[in-house]
Amino acid sequence: MAIRVNPKLIEELEIYGAEDVQNCYHCGNCSAMCPFSEEPYILPRRAMRNLQMGLEKKLESSLDPWLCYYCGQCTESCPRGAEPGETMMSLRRWLTSRYDFTGISRLFYRSGKFELAMVIGAAILTGLAFVLWGISRGSIHNYDPPNEFLARPTIHIFDWALAGVLLVLLLSNCTRMWWFTIGRDRSIRVPWTAYLRKLYLLPLHFLTQKRYAKCERKRPWLIHLILMISYLIMLVLIMFFLREMQGGPAIDWRVHIFGYIATVGLLGTTIFALRGRFKKSEPQYAHSHETDWLFLVLLILGAFTGILQHMLHRTGLDVAANITYIVHLMIVVPMLGLEVPFSKWSHLAYRPLAQYFAAVRAEAVARVPQKARAAVATPPVVG
Amino acid sequence: MRTGVFICQEDAEGWERINLHAVESYAANLPTVETVQILGFRPKLDPVALAEEIKRNRLDRIVIAGDSPGFFKPAFTRAMALAGGDTDEVRLASFREHGALGSGATVRAESIVACAVMGVPFSLAARPSTVATRPETLIIGGGIAGIQAALEIADAGKQVYLVERQPTIGGHMAMFDKTFPTLDCAACILTPKMVAVGQHQMIDLMTYAEVEHISGAPGAYKVRVRKRARHVDLEACVACGICSESCPRRSPSEFDMGIASRKAIYIPFPQAVPNAYVLDESSCLYFESNGQRCGVCAKKCPKQCIDLSQEDELVEFEVGNIVLATGYDVYDARRIERYGYGKLPNVFTALEFERMSNASGPTGGKIVTKTLKTNKRTKTEDWVLDPEGPAPSSVAIIHCVGSRDAQHNPYCSRVCCMYSLKFAHLVREKLPDATCYEFYIDMRAFGKGYEEFAERIAAEGTFVIRGRTAQVVEQDGRMVLKGEDIVNDRMVDTPVDMVILAVGLIPAHGSDRIAQMLGINRDEYGWFSELDYNADPTGTERGGVFVAGACQAPKDIPDTVAQASAVAAGVLKSVTTGRGPDSRAELSLSDIEMRARTLARV
Repeated sequence: MAIRVNPKLIEELEIYGAEDVQNCYHCGNCSAMCPFSEEPYILPRRAMRNLQMGLEKKLESSLDPWLCYYCGQCTESCPRGAEPGETMMSLRRWLTSRYDFTGISRLFYRSGKFELAMVIGAAILTGLAFVLWGISRGSIHNYDPPNEFLARPTIHIFDWALAGVLLVLLLSNCTRMWWFTIGRDRSIRVPWTAYLRKLYLLPLHFLTQKRYAKCERKRPWLIHLILMISYLIMLVLIMFFLREMQGGPAIDWRVHIFGYIATVGLLGTTIFALRGRFKKSEPQYAHSHETDWLFLVLLILGAFTGILQHMLHRTGLDVAANITYIVHLMIVVPMLGLEVPFSKWSHLAYRPLAQYFAAVRAEAVARVPQKARAAVATPPVVG
Repeated sequence: MRTGVFICQEDAEGWERINLHAVESYAANLPTVETVQILGFRPKLDPVALAEEIKRNRLDRIVIAGDSPGFFKPAFTRAMALAGGDTDEVRLASFREHGALGSGATVRAESIVACAVMGVPFSLAARPSTVATRPETLIIGGGIAGIQAALEIADAGKQVYLVERQPTIGGHMAMFDKTFPTLDCAACILTPKMVAVGQHQMIDLMTYAEVEHISGAPGAYKVRVRKRARHVDLEACVACGICSESCPRRSPSEFDMGIASRKAIYIPFPQAVPNAYVLDESSCLYFESNGQRCGVCAKKCPKQCIDLSQEDELVEFEVGNIVLATGYDVYDARRIERYGYGKLPNVFTALEFERMSNASGPTGGKIVTKTLKTNKRTKTEDWVLDPEGPAPSSVAIIHCVGSRDAQHNPYCSRVCCMYSLKFAHLVREKLPDATCYEFYIDMRAFGKGYEEFAERIAAEGTFVIRGRTAQVVEQDGRMVLKGEDIVNDRMVDTPVDMVILAVGLIPAHGSDRIAQMLGINRDEYGWFSELDYNADPTGTERGGVFVAGACQAPKDIPDTVAQASAVAAGVLKSVTTGRGPDSRAELSLSDIEMRARTLARV
């Protein structure tokens, strides 16, 4: 099989954040320090090597970057300052852009300004649409029915429509991920039962992120888990309990209590992450791509406007509540619409999927006869 | 020739002393210079744009000036080629290489630029003038470098003062069992030389002594040496050892790198030169109790040669040349915690293993692991090296410990690969059933017969694995090395009984003081700077001060001996003619300019 080499790959990756790959001299320190390095997934030196050699296809079909959680041990102990941890992070950005067939993701990662412009554009469109729709059929002085400015059932329908579009986009990206990592690989044949048997890994890793917990430092995992769970609670509330969420002005404790918990979780973790990135307090916060900042800023703004809208509604300031609601939508809609399929948020699907695919792949590889498995079972080479 | 000067900075530090704008305006005033540009720190150079620049100014010659301008040469060569010029006329003005470091760095940088602009090698134009030189020579350091230089000079009939800090000469080489790649017995080469030094008419040997002060000028240095109180009469002592037998105090032996102990009155090793005992005040009971207790050695000595009241002695003399042969220390492996040195009992450093494998060492040359023993007096459990202890069934050697590592020493220590291979051979020779692993990054077998030696070791059955071990951990009472086998693309967890860390070399402690005393430069890692990397690797900026051996940079024994002999040639030249080199700093900018102009015309 012909192997195509892309000599510009390293330069390309520089835009995604990997600046010091060329420093690596392959001592293997990083792989040996990594708590996840287990055959056949040797992190992160193999990726460094493939990058240096410009093996684009090999990297494209690699699951390794998704198996790394950036605890930063490799970077801290690297004798060459080659930043293996940051390289893995950049590869995740690069892979995200590869999985996305529209090419929008690539544009986002290559230009933060472009992404910002898109977000602002989408925000303005969203705002305009909702304002026009609100004025056409309600009054800005009313938050609650009758004659309310933003009617709950319609918002609910809009939410589900948006979710449907996002799901289709995300699923198509996930299919591409499958094609790159398993589907097109002729050397292995995956039994369909393996897909079924390993299916439990998807919800397991999605909900617990237990692999992240294997890193020596537990705090990043905890922060991430809290953020994710809060986000999930919010999602469920909005998708299924919007009527109660938006209802009021009395507080419906059966629903709102969850909203409060999720808000505290979202705000707390986002502030922690922002502060960390600002102070570069942890290895994974040492380098921040433009997309990381945008992600966090949108998240905190979304949470903040959500709270504000809720409070204004309770205090009877309906006009202000309606305006804040519009602003809230202007933040949340572009955030979800652009980030979930095309940018950082897509990892919510890729992470557990990678675990799943890795397990399926490992099973398929194990079925390949010993002899054909190149360079796996040889004794330590003698000079 | 129409010349363009481009100033590029490669290193982030070390530039405070050079006033770049002064260099810029100086260069601009040179007759042939058309343009001078400061390009700043690690500029992104575009050959096409540079070629345009060259064409626009119609430049025939380019001078790249800076701390390490070679870093930028490819871009300029390419630009010159694109512009259709002569690529041989892309010249370097290396500030760091030519010693623009200390005070007067700016003037030095200017003279370096001047030479490059005129197309003359700096080392030719800035050759120091000569001064009248005294015939005596001071050599600091009595390792193999100092010994070799001393013998070469003294054999020519010239007076040598050899000053050694330790109670014996021999340095690190005396600790070794074998030398690579010939596997010769190190002592068989060294001890005859040591004895020759000890007996030589023309060598005034001062051991257990340190140079305290040096004043004067090139050609006539005044030296003050403090001879520490040895408390043993060198002439009278016959090294019978009765004093040591009766001594009640023990402390870790420096010569055995602490894996064995010595008495407070001791001889470092049986072949020591001078072959006499020495009393270490810091571990002696007599001195601890201010003369109230003990003193038994003085009473027992049959020759009455122990003088407990002896005090330090100051000696002053004048010399014409000074040879620095201060050697090296090894990197402190404790600083790399993940290898467990100092915590895991059977992790050894290279020098410790060197002593263990030495037939005259504490285990008599047996390779054994430490055993847990109860100390009867203190009732504590200690790990001790017992010659009858268990032999390891597997030994791992980790290369590049503290070397080639941005977090420790970025440089290659040059000797570790080879001595590690030698260790593997010694292990396999003495314990044929033991498994031996070498974990390396790159095998640097660069010398005569070295590559063949490396191949031989691999053929002897040592597992030579590419991939540096990341950590040594303890699992179920055994040490496990965690690393990656890069050639085979897999992770390895290797259980072993003994780990040897191939620690890198660092400048000997106290070399900073010597550099300060003499006013010579050291590089960013602390090694003494030579006068010119290629043209004069034995001289220094200071006239009549030479460097030999590992104090200049990590070096193996053959290279050290070669450099020491080369130093002796330089010293003898000045002693026989009566005129030696002056300091380069004495040359003024106009001197160098004039010389360069003359050379450029030729």
